[in-house]
Amino acid sequence: MMSTTQTGIQHERTARRQLVSGNRLVALGAVAAGCRFFSGYPITPSSEIYQAMMEELPRPENAGLALAAPDEISALTYCVGASMAGYKAMTATSGPGWCLMIETLQYGLMTETPVVVAVVQRLGPSTGGATQGAQGDVLLTQFCTSGGYTIPVFAPSNARECYELTQAAFWWSERLRTPVVLLSDKEVGMTLESIDVASFERRPVPERAAFSGIGRYVPYACEQLEEPPPFAPVGGAAKVVATGSAHDRDGKLRKNSPEVIELLVHLQAKIAAHAGDMAIFEMDLQEKAETLVMSYGTTARAAREAVNHLRAAGRKVSFLKLMTLFPIAAEAIEQAAEGCRRVVVAEENLTGLYASAVQTLLRDREMLRVNGIGNQISPLQIIEAMERAR
Amino acid sequence: MMDPYLVKDAPLPYCKGCGHGLVLRAFGEALEKLQLPPAEVAVVTDIGCVGLADALFATPHTVHTTHGRSTAFATGLALADSVLGAARLKPVVMIGDGGAMIGINHLVNAALLNADVTVLVHNNFMFGMTGGQNSAFSPLEFVTATTPAGNAVPPLDLAQVLVASRASFVARKITSDHDLTDVIARAIAHPGFAMVEILELCTGFATKWNPLTGAQLKQVAEKAGYALGVLREERRPTFGDGYKERGKEARREGNKENGAGPRFAAGTEVAQRLVMAGTAGERVQTAAMLLGQAAMLCGLHVTQKNDYPVTQGTGFSISEVILSPEEILFTGIEEPDAVLVVSADGARELERTGMLARVAEETLVLADTDIHLPELRCTIQRFAFRSATGPKTAALAAVAQWLDMTGALPMDALWTAIEERFPKEMESTRASLGKILQTT
Repeated sequence: MMSTTQTGIQHERTARRQLVSGNRLVALGAVAAGCRFFSGYPITPSSEIYQAMMEELPRPENAGLALAAPDEISALTYCVGASMAGYKAMTATSGPGWCLMIETLQYGLMTETPVVVAVVQRLGPSTGGATQGAQGDVLLTQFCTSGGYTIPVFAPSNARECYELTQAAFWWSERLRTPVVLLSDKEVGMTLESIDVASFERRPVPERAAFSGIGRYVPYACEQLEEPPPFAPVGGAAKVVATGSAHDRDGKLRKNSPEVIELLVHLQAKIAAHAGDMAIFEMDLQEKAETLVMSYGTTARAAREAVNHLRAAGRKVSFLKLMTLFPIAAEAIEQAAEGCRRVVVAEENLTGLYASAVQTLLRDREMLRVNGIGNQISPLQIIEAMERAR
Repeated sequence: MMDPYLVKDAPLPYCKGCGHGLVLRAFGEALEKLQLPPAEVAVVTDIGCVGLADALFATPHTVHTTHGRSTAFATGLALADSVLGAARLKPVVMIGDGGAMIGINHLVNAALLNADVTVLVHNNFMFGMTGGQNSAFSPLEFVTATTPAGNAVPPLDLAQVLVASRASFVARKITSDHDLTDVIARAIAHPGFAMVEILELCTGFATKWNPLTGAQLKQVAEKAGYALGVLREERRPTFGDGYKERGKEARREGNKENGAGPRFAAGTEVAQRLVMAGTAGERVQTAAMLLGQAAMLCGLHVTQKNDYPVTQGTGFSISEVILSPEEILFTGIEEPDAVLVVSADGARELERTGMLARVAEETLVLADTDIHLPELRCTIQRFAFRSATGPKTAALAAVAQWLDMTGALPMDALWTAIEERFPKEMESTRASLGKILQTT
C-alpha cells in the first residue's frame, strides 16, 4: 500500500480537469475504498461530504446505505454498529461535532471496530467560526482517548490528497481494526480545484482479516500483540461478544487481570508496530540545508510556496509535508531534520499544536513556530518569520 | 428451564428479588418461544446492573455498549443488516431507566426510522448500580440517595414519548404480569421498532427506602398516570424496506462535473489572482465557476475559494479565483491581480478583510458605477455592470470585461463554458454581456 513520498501525479496540460472540492473527493475516496455505510449530521464546513455520500452510496454500483442521524453521537454510533455487522463505515463532522463523537470513538477503539471519521476543521473553541478555517483540532483528534491511545490521523493538503488519504484511512482502519481520523480543514475541504479525476488510482480495497470459521471464535484473540484479532460480524454464524469495558480474550468483563492489561497494551502496540508503514509524507531535501520547513494540511501549501521562493533567492531549505500526523512519522522527521540547525513548523493555530507534539524529536534544534488564527498563513508570513529569526 | 439461549443455571449477578432477573427470564422464554436462530439475535446491553446480562447469554451475539447509546448501536446494526445484509438480524436492547433518559434521542430516532430494534427498558425508577440515585423515572415523593426528602420532579412517561415518536410497537408491563414473556416475544417478532417498558423493583435500594412491594407496582403506575399493556401495535414500513428502491429513484442523472480538456490557448503565461465581490444570491460564485471552467478549457490550473457569512443567502459573497499554468500551492491571495466589485456588500467585506489595502498599483480594479470604494493604490475603472446586465449577471459581466481587457483567456473559452453549463441561457447571457463589452 502507499508508504512514502510523492503522492502527486504530474499534472499534464492535456488532462481533462474538473472543478471539484476536497470534501467531494473525500466522499469519492470513501466509495473507492469500499465504504458501504455513512451516517451524517450537517455541520459547516463538512456538510458537503454528507451530501455527497447521500448522493453516491445509494447508486446501484456502490450498493451502500447513507442516512441522516439526529445528532453527531448517533451518527458515529450508527457507523460503529454497521461496522460491527461487517460493513465499512464513515461519518464526517467538524470540531463541535467531533467533541460529541469522542465517546463512541473510544468505544470503537476498545472494541477494535474499524470506522473512519472525517473531521473538517473550522475555527474554535466551541462553535467558533463556522466558515473560518483553522488547524486547531490536531491534538483534540489525537489525544481524545482516556489513556492517550494513538488514533491514526491523516491530513490532506489538497483535493487530490483528500481522495488518496481517505483511502489510506480506510486501509489502516480495516487493517488494524481501529478508528481512524481524516483531518481536513475548511480550506482543503471547500476550495474547488481543477483536478483530473479520471487519473485517480483506485487502490486495492482493504478487507479486515476474517475469522476462519474453524473452531470456537474468540472475539479478542490476539496471538501477537501487534496484530488485530480476526473479525466475525455480529449476525454471522460465529457468536460475537463485544464490549467497551476492560475484557479478556473472550470478551468477558475483567477488572485488571494480566490478560486485560495485555489486551490494552495490544491496542497501542498494534498501532505503534505499523507506524513506519503508516507514514505518508512528501520530502524534498536540499544538501547542506540549515533549515527544514515542515507543515501539513492547508498550510503545507503556503510552506511549499515559501520554500520555492527562498530557493529561488538562493537559500538552502529542506521541505517536509506530513500527510500522516499520527502515529508521528518520526523516521521521516528525523531524516529531514538531519544536519539542520533550525526546524520551522507552520500551522494555523495559536500555539503550534503539532510542533509541541514533535518537539521532543527535535530536541537539539532550534524550533521556529509560525502560527496564526483567523486567516490562512501565507507564504510571506512564513518567510518573514524566518527572516526575523535569522 | 430448557433454554438454549441463556446460560444454564448461571448465578444471576443481581440482588435477591431484583426485577432484572425476572425480565431476563421472560426474555429468554420469549426467544425460546420464537425459536429464532441464535446467530440472528444480538443482545445489546447498556450500562448499569442491566448491562451485566451479557455473560448470561449462551448463544446470541452480545454487544455491551456505552451508557445510553445501546439503542443507537443496535440501530446501526439493524439498519446495516436490513439494507446491506440479509435483513434477518434482530437486535434487542437491554437498557435501564437511566440509560433510556441519556439516550432518549436514540430511542426517538429509532422509533421514527422504524428500525427493526426491540428495546427492553428496565424501569426500576432509579440508578441501582451507583447507589440508588434518583432518575428521570423516579415517581413523585420517591426516596432515593439523592432525594432523601422525596422526589419533587414528576416522572417521565417514556411510552407516551415513543407513541408521539410514531413507534410502531409500544408496551408498558410489570414484572409480575403473567403475559410478560408473550409481550416481549410479540415485540421482538414485530417488524420494526418496539419498546417494552417493564416496571420493576430495585431491591438493593428502592424497597429499602420506600414502602414498595411487587404488588404495589401497579399503584405506582396509576399514580404516575402510566397506561399499562400494549399501547400501540401497528405495521408500517421499516427504514430498510424499499431503501434500495428509493435509492434508484433518487439517483441523479449522470455526473454534473464534466471533465474539461484543453480546447483553447490561454493568453496568460503567469498566474492570475482574482477577487470577485458581490452579494449572496447574485451568482458571484457561479460567475467564478464559469471563469474557472473557461480557464480549464485553456489547460490552466484553477482554484476557487468562496466565502460568505455564516447565514447563506444574505450579505456578501466573495470568490477568490486563481488561474495558473503551474500547479497552485497557496490558495489565498496576498496581492490580487484583479478585483471585481459588483455590489456594496462585496465592497464592504473587501474593506473589512483588508483585501483592498493589499491592492497594488498594477492591480486591475473593475467596479460597478455606484459603489463606494476607498482611495486605492490603483485607478478604479467603473462599469455599469448592474444596470446594464441586471444584478444576477453583473459578476459574470465583470469577468467578461476583465477577459476583454486583459486577454488572459480567449473570450470563446468563456462562451464555451457558459454554453456547456447553461445551454438554455447562452443566448440571453451573451446578449446581456454584449451590452457591457460594447460600451468599452
